[in-house]
Amino acid sequence: MTELMATWLLDLQWVFFAYFILISAGYLTLHYIAVISTIRYMRDNRAEYLPRILPSYQPPISILIPAYNEEQSIISSIHSVLRLEYPEFEVVVVNDGSSDGTLARLIAEFSMHEFPEAYRQRLATQRIRGVWASPLYPRLRVVDKENGGKSDALNAGINCIRYPLFCAIDADCILNPGSLARVVRPFLDDSTTVASGGVVRVLNGCTVKNGFLEKVELPRRLLPLIQSVEYLRAFRFGRMGWSPLNALLVISGAFGVFYKEHVVAVGGYRTDTVGEDMELVVRLHRKLRRERRPYRITFVPDPICWTEVPSDLKSLKAQRIRWQQGLAESIIPNLRLLFSRRAGLVGLVAFPFMILFELLGPIVELLGYVAMITLWLLHLIPLQSFLVFLFLAVGMGIMQSTNAIFLERLSFQMYPRIGQQLILFAAAIVENFGYRQMTAVFRLIGLGRWFFSGKARSDWGQITRDGSWQSEEAPAEVVSAVAPRSGFRQ
Amino acid sequence: MGFLAGAAPVVVIAFLLGLAVSVLTLLMMLTTMVMRMNSLRMERIDADARALWHPLLSHAAAGHLGTLPTLQARHVRGFIEVWNEVHEPLRGGTTDALAELARAGDLPRHLYRFLGQTTFHHRVMAIIALGHLKRGESFDRVLPFLNDKSPILSLCAARSLMQLDPERAVPKLVPLIVERTYWSQGVVASILTESEQAIVTEPMADATLHATSDVAPRLIRFLAGVSPESAAPIIREALRTSSDERIISTCLQSMTDPADLDCVRPLLSHPLWYIRMQAASTLGALGVPGDEHRLVVMLRDTQWWVRYRAAQALLRLKFIGADDARRIHDSQTDAFARDILSHVLAERSIEAPT
Repeated sequence: MTELMATWLLDLQWVFFAYFILISAGYLTLHYIAVISTIRYMRDNRAEYLPRILPSYQPPISILIPAYNEEQSIISSIHSVLRLEYPEFEVVVVNDGSSDGTLARLIAEFSMHEFPEAYRQRLATQRIRGVWASPLYPRLRVVDKENGGKSDALNAGINCIRYPLFCAIDADCILNPGSLARVVRPFLDDSTTVASGGVVRVLNGCTVKNGFLEKVELPRRLLPLIQSVEYLRAFRFGRMGWSPLNALLVISGAFGVFYKEHVVAVGGYRTDTVGEDMELVVRLHRKLRRERRPYRITFVPDPICWTEVPSDLKSLKAQRIRWQQGLAESIIPNLRLLFSRRAGLVGLVAFPFMILFELLGPIVELLGYVAMITLWLLHLIPLQSFLVFLFLAVGMGIMQSTNAIFLERLSFQMYPRIGQQLILFAAAIVENFGYRQMTAVFRLIGLGRWFFSGKARSDWGQITRDGSWQSEEAPAEVVSAVAPRSGFRQ
Repeated sequence: MGFLAGAAPVVVIAFLLGLAVSVLTLLMMLTTMVMRMNSLRMERIDADARALWHPLLSHAAAGHLGTLPTLQARHVRGFIEVWNEVHEPLRGGTTDALAELARAGDLPRHLYRFLGQTTFHHRVMAIIALGHLKRGESFDRVLPFLNDKSPILSLCAARSLMQLDPERAVPKLVPLIVERTYWSQGVVASILTESEQAIVTEPMADATLHATSDVAPRLIRFLAGVSPESAAPIIREALRTSSDERIISTCLQSMTDPADLDCVRPLLSHPLWYIRMQAASTLGALGVPGDEHRLVVMLRDTQWWVRYRAAQALLRLKFIGADDARRIHDSQTDAFARDILSHVLAERSIEAPT
């Protein structure tokens, strides 16, 4: 029996090796595409070459902020949003039945009054308790509703918004003043654009004053620092690699712009998943491909949105379990996209890639470690083989992160100092010894939870907030919060 | 490699791959660091150029020209960047003092040299700077870039040519505006509104009259932005003769003449809801006494957006005061009409707090 298992494990070595080669080749190809598109993007966007676009040609946008128990960070986020440099926008905050003082803080901070909204229910949601508006901040409205999860809150917001484009952002995000203008640009350049997403960066370690990012620094603690490298990897070549192929499957829930009518046409955000952001994008691909409509789902590489990442293991574990569960919930219901005749590169390449390397990745990765350790303990492979495979796995991991840091260097260089570069390289090495394996375990638990728990419900997946980046002073934008020009446009 | 003696082939391959990956990683790290150090050096040079030339150029923009230092070769790039930056708010092009400063710094020679370089940034900055410099003889140097495949480069060239010699540029530019759907509409509109209205209007009106229904909405909007008076007869004609929904919608959005309201009123009952919605908005902007009754009827439309725009339009009519609005609200028996009026009344009180 032991002999049979040993033979099986030895044969499995080749399977792991082939998988490893495949995944490495896949990521290197993505990296290559990302380098080309980053160079092109930076060539065209290194400076503001073109004259300023006339405001009447910039589409008005609704900014949608779903919030649940966000009393600690919501005010800061809204101040940053209200001061965005964009001609015409509104901000709709959806309070999803928070049990803390989120609503009270919003009402007090922004002097809000109840508003007789002629509510139009295009997407079914939990009951709306009321809508609040402020004469001091005419761009801002708060929708108060019964708790129904993040998707439900987003759908309620979609029912309320006025403009054809909406930007969904997380309540704990800090935006750069020019974020909106940047992320809307794909809609101006190509009328078939239905969604665009931007880069999300790690806020831990930075300084935020009056809702604005004042100083960009790397996190001082190891866990968020490693996540900074992870975010670079995910956004710099993950998204930037898929976008030119029009096969981008993820637009981060933390910051993404969508064409409202397309989202309504697919039924809005699904409330029975924890990965509502990815699921929506996959469903948009599926519908538009099925209908053979020309469309683009685009990624903008500008650093525009900053978010706090978990700084303790408990929050990190919960987040990664949730992400993996969300990934499975996004992929499995849309399996028809896989190798579908009409699905193009999305069905032929991106979707299989996502299944093989992202969804099943943790299983293969952990099985690989277990098999190698077992074989070594049973003296079926020498220590030398074990170390060589470890050397290759770690080397490949470091190379992926180094590539991402290189891409960051080619683009916006948010961490410009030589010392910061060295710290990032160090984190890229350190993450391979323990962190990667640990997150693989978390992701495996996520898969298990998806497999055994049946249908999920869109929840809030909150992390323990450090909030040390906030440095509040009296808000100054009350005078600059200009009312939208008379008459909203369709 | 002695420690791999007798190892399985898969282990040897894995080791060699690992070695290659490690070398590549080290190279990547090194390249990143070298590139970073190089760009830090360039940034320092540009910052020096900026520190030296920004105050001088700003003073020259205000008409004061003091003693000028020599423009060092390594500061040329930074100088051109500052030159463009200082000109951007001037709109009308360079001032005498700036032109004098350009002559002293031998700027045209540097700009022609930059035009011939392959660096994208240098070429674009040179094209923009030549436009600001407004020396007619540069026209033929910039002209070839109008056909560049990069929309950024070709649009910058278009703007520059319009600054250098608008009368020569317009006949070349207008056909391209018709043809190039990939040119950013907001930027084209910006270039056209920067230009002298008298030079642009006639060729644009002519192109709009002969445009196909695919292009016409875009051109009508450009023309209305440049000269609403010249657009008015074309809009009138289009509303009378066209059944294309995009053209009708654009015309409704671009209308400025109340004399054309007779073309708008029939559209309030158009089968397409967004045409009804646009017609209501236009009536709100241009309507005359009597039109309020038409808008009141629309408060009961089946489409939320039509009701919303009709309510906004109603309150926008110059002759409808706050009391009239309240009276109309109270007289509504339809719940949808009352709700939407309450909503828009509250919205108006927020937008214009007393």
